[in-house]
Amino acid sequence: MAKILEGSAMKFFNKWGIPVPNYVVVMDPNRLAQLGEANKWLRESKLVVKAHEAIGGRYKLGLVKLGLNLDEAVAAAREMIGKKIGSAEIRQVIIAEMLDHDAEFYMSMSGNKDGAELLVSSKGGVDIEDNWDTVKRIQIPVGEAPSIEDLTALAEEAGFEGEIAERVGKIASRLVLCFDNEDAQSIEINPLVIRKSDMRFAALDAVMNVDWDARFRHPDWDFKPVSEIGRPYTDAEQQMMELDSRIKGSVKFVEVPGGEVALLTAGGGASVFYADAVVARGGTIANYAEYSGAPPDWAVEALTEILCQLPNIKHIIVGGAIANFTDVKATFGGIINGLRESRENGFLKGVKIWVRRGGPNETEGLAAISKLKDEGFDIHVYDRNMPMTDIVDLAMNS
Amino acid sequence: MSIVINKETRAVIIGGAAGVNAAKKMAEFDFLVKRPLTIQAFVYPPEEGQQKEIFLGGELKNVKVYSTLDEALAHNPQINTALVYLGASRATKATQEALESEHINLVSVITEGVPEKDAKKLRILAEKNGKILNGPSSIGIMSAGECRLGVIGGEYKNLKLCNLYRPGSFGVLTKSGGLSNEAMWLCAQNGNGITSAVAIGGDAYPGTDFVTYLEMFEKDPDTKAVVIIGEVGGSLEEEAAEWLAAEKRRIRVIAAIGGTCQEVLPQGMKFGHAGAKEGKKGAGSARSKMNVLREAGALVPDTFGGLSKAIKQVYDELLADGSIAPEEPISDDLLPELPPKVQKVIKEGEVIVEPLVRTTISDDRGEEPRYRGYAASELCEKGYGMEDVIGLLWNKKLPTKEESEIIKRIIMISADHGPAVSGAYGAILGACAGIDMPQAVSAGMTMIGPRFGGAVTNAGKYFQKGVQDFPNDIPGFLAWMKKNVGPVPGIGHRVKSLKNPDKRVKYLVSYVKNETSLHTPCLDYALEVEKVTTAKKDNLILNVDGTMGAILMDLGFPVHSLNGFFVLARTIGMIGHWIDQNEQNSRLIRLYDYLINYAVEDEKEVPDKK
Repeated sequence: MAKILEGSAMKFFNKWGIPVPNYVVVMDPNRLAQLGEANKWLRESKLVVKAHEAIGGRYKLGLVKLGLNLDEAVAAAREMIGKKIGSAEIRQVIIAEMLDHDAEFYMSMSGNKDGAELLVSSKGGVDIEDNWDTVKRIQIPVGEAPSIEDLTALAEEAGFEGEIAERVGKIASRLVLCFDNEDAQSIEINPLVIRKSDMRFAALDAVMNVDWDARFRHPDWDFKPVSEIGRPYTDAEQQMMELDSRIKGSVKFVEVPGGEVALLTAGGGASVFYADAVVARGGTIANYAEYSGAPPDWAVEALTEILCQLPNIKHIIVGGAIANFTDVKATFGGIINGLRESRENGFLKGVKIWVRRGGPNETEGLAAISKLKDEGFDIHVYDRNMPMTDIVDLAMNS
Repeated sequence: MSIVINKETRAVIIGGAAGVNAAKKMAEFDFLVKRPLTIQAFVYPPEEGQQKEIFLGGELKNVKVYSTLDEALAHNPQINTALVYLGASRATKATQEALESEHINLVSVITEGVPEKDAKKLRILAEKNGKILNGPSSIGIMSAGECRLGVIGGEYKNLKLCNLYRPGSFGVLTKSGGLSNEAMWLCAQNGNGITSAVAIGGDAYPGTDFVTYLEMFEKDPDTKAVVIIGEVGGSLEEEAAEWLAAEKRRIRVIAAIGGTCQEVLPQGMKFGHAGAKEGKKGAGSARSKMNVLREAGALVPDTFGGLSKAIKQVYDELLADGSIAPEEPISDDLLPELPPKVQKVIKEGEVIVEPLVRTTISDDRGEEPRYRGYAASELCEKGYGMEDVIGLLWNKKLPTKEESEIIKRIIMISADHGPAVSGAYGAILGACAGIDMPQAVSAGMTMIGPRFGGAVTNAGKYFQKGVQDFPNDIPGFLAWMKKNVGPVPGIGHRVKSLKNPDKRVKYLVSYVKNETSLHTPCLDYALEVEKVTTAKKDNLILNVDGTMGAILMDLGFPVHSLNGFFVLARTIGMIGHWIDQNEQNSRLIRLYDYLINYAVEDEKEVPDKK
């Protein structure tokens, strides 16, 4: 799953013939002024300026400005660019033509087990949730495309009439093309607007997710996926993502500010259960982490060091199920080095470490990490006979 | 009994190194349960025609690699299962081929990151063809006592600890690979182990869902209960609950669901498997899955930690109502142990091995090479040189400063003698024919022998004999030599003579005798011999080979090492000639006709063969 920014979605729409308003994305307000000299629409239309970042609730944060002329748009861009929202900095703004329109519609498509579902409503806009019963839908089996007639019929069912129904049907058919060919997981156009005087349609806003695993067959994907965690990534997270992309196996890291229990856990399934156990015992997690698929020891070491720098942590849970092929001795070698290094750099003061793990070379791995006790670490080591998440209980009760 | 895979399963692995590694782990299980190899063939075009070595216990099996699945199946019609171990960009096509092959009933795909659209298409294809598609991103399938598909179950020791050598009464279904292993362990620790365990993979759209496998477990009389480990996202757990509630089921269901932590995480924050994503309005949340499963009659502990107790509880109930009989685990002694690697046995001192090779000069098993015990870097640090390394490796001791100086001079004056001599000319011929340095230099090297440069050893050897057997009796020595050997090695030169002495010999003799304190019985003897031989003929002088041989004997070098000084020195020269010719981009050398005397027969017709 990879959410992409509005500008990238607009580019896809253009590519597949879904009407969009004129728009530009800039990082420098002066560039917008220059673009104004070159583009008539920027000088003559009402404009909307939006922060082009993965920030939720942009409208409430004042990061969407409507009905501006070019000078006002340049001023708005100047104000937004460089602004800090939490840990995020606004680096780009998207400036689009604010199309005067007569009606707002809704159109979306999202993947499911057997293909995808296309939704259409003649009552789009901010109130779509309230008008959910007006939404008409059609299931599109994977690998198939509905006919224009089917889609026009769907539009008519949703209350569109005559030429407008035909045009909505046509836009829907292009949405299906875009969805299928770009390996999309979901596309939501809200609102899709119409200016009846010249029958001009435009997708004024778009939210789109693509299947990032399919990028190997899309040489023209020139964007990076937007953070999926509801805020932009931190430096530490980005650092781990960069490392993750270079190694065999994987290491993942997401910070949860304010938590006291750091998770240094193995495996995509087990790691979630460790986070659950902390929450179930009334604890607060400081992060989510996961290493899996026999990553190299130095990658696990890097993850360990990043994790030890989390502020306010009181416990580190070095947990994991009984591995199938991740070598416990090798990965623990990385963890041991990371812990030592972190302590030398002044971290881990008063932090208790709880270990439970099994898998290839478990005896050697557990013996090696137990030796940290002799170096003065507050570390508690258990083997497979300790139920997997019970070390969390021990930590919480200590 | 088991589901999906059993003793009849015969598989092909489509993929490279990771697939071979999996085949090795699978063979360990085959050995444990005493079945033939599960893996019968590999498909991997880059390694077509190779045979992969797979150990079935102590027995070495060779498994062939084919370039296409059709070819592999044509040669191995017994294969009914395919395992896909390819990268995401190639896995879809390979899986599709396998699903379309009439021989194959089951395809398990380990590949992570298969695009969702492809996964959906593959599932639909499998359904259409009546095949089972497990995965993508599945660690594999295990049927205790029957078959292992993939590396599920981990290392050999774990297979035993989890009672996987014989069937128990619990089925296991998980999304996660690691947790499939953990669940098998929990079933062995708190119950009697598993019948089959299936990791279906953590992707959003798996090829086969929980319900399909639950149906199979329901039909397997040996399976009494199934442990499901699910997680937030999708609707597989809800569907399983619906299945369980739909009618009275023979099997009990125990479930743990991961992802309750997402309730308290900052909004929008998600992690874990690709499929672990909550839908709109709480649909697919861990909590709602737990609730529907409980309502359907499943035993669902609040946390993963409660799973042990739940399994124990169900096991005890099954024992109490007589559904299963108590069964002692098989004693570890009765289970076969993997034959240990030879290195391990030797390390533990359990066998004696006659060494094949004995060395007395060097050892690189440590951090760096050691020559006769001395670390190479330490020799460098303490100012030792090449001559000292030669002393250590050829004569097993460190020379003194004086001795080193002599060795250095011997090598310096013998390093090269121009392009005309056999060795250098051989190397030059090679270089001009365009061959590489090691071959060209060894072409020159092959010239070293009785007529060229190879006299040092024999000169040293016989002068030494003279010192020992004919002291003060040069005529006696020469008579013995004439009778037993022939001309004295190290005496005589084609162009040099008393009147035209060899400057190198003069210098070496003078340096050793005047500038060092070396005791020189051999050299002195050789000079005495020279006095007698030059009296007979002007050019029977002590030549450079003889001088070197005598001095090296006086230095205490072993007789066998003596030619080595010439070989080493001339190697420097021959490498120089090869480089020189290459730098100049020299052309191929061909002898001119006028340098050849064609002493051949006249042209004549070839007679018919009789």
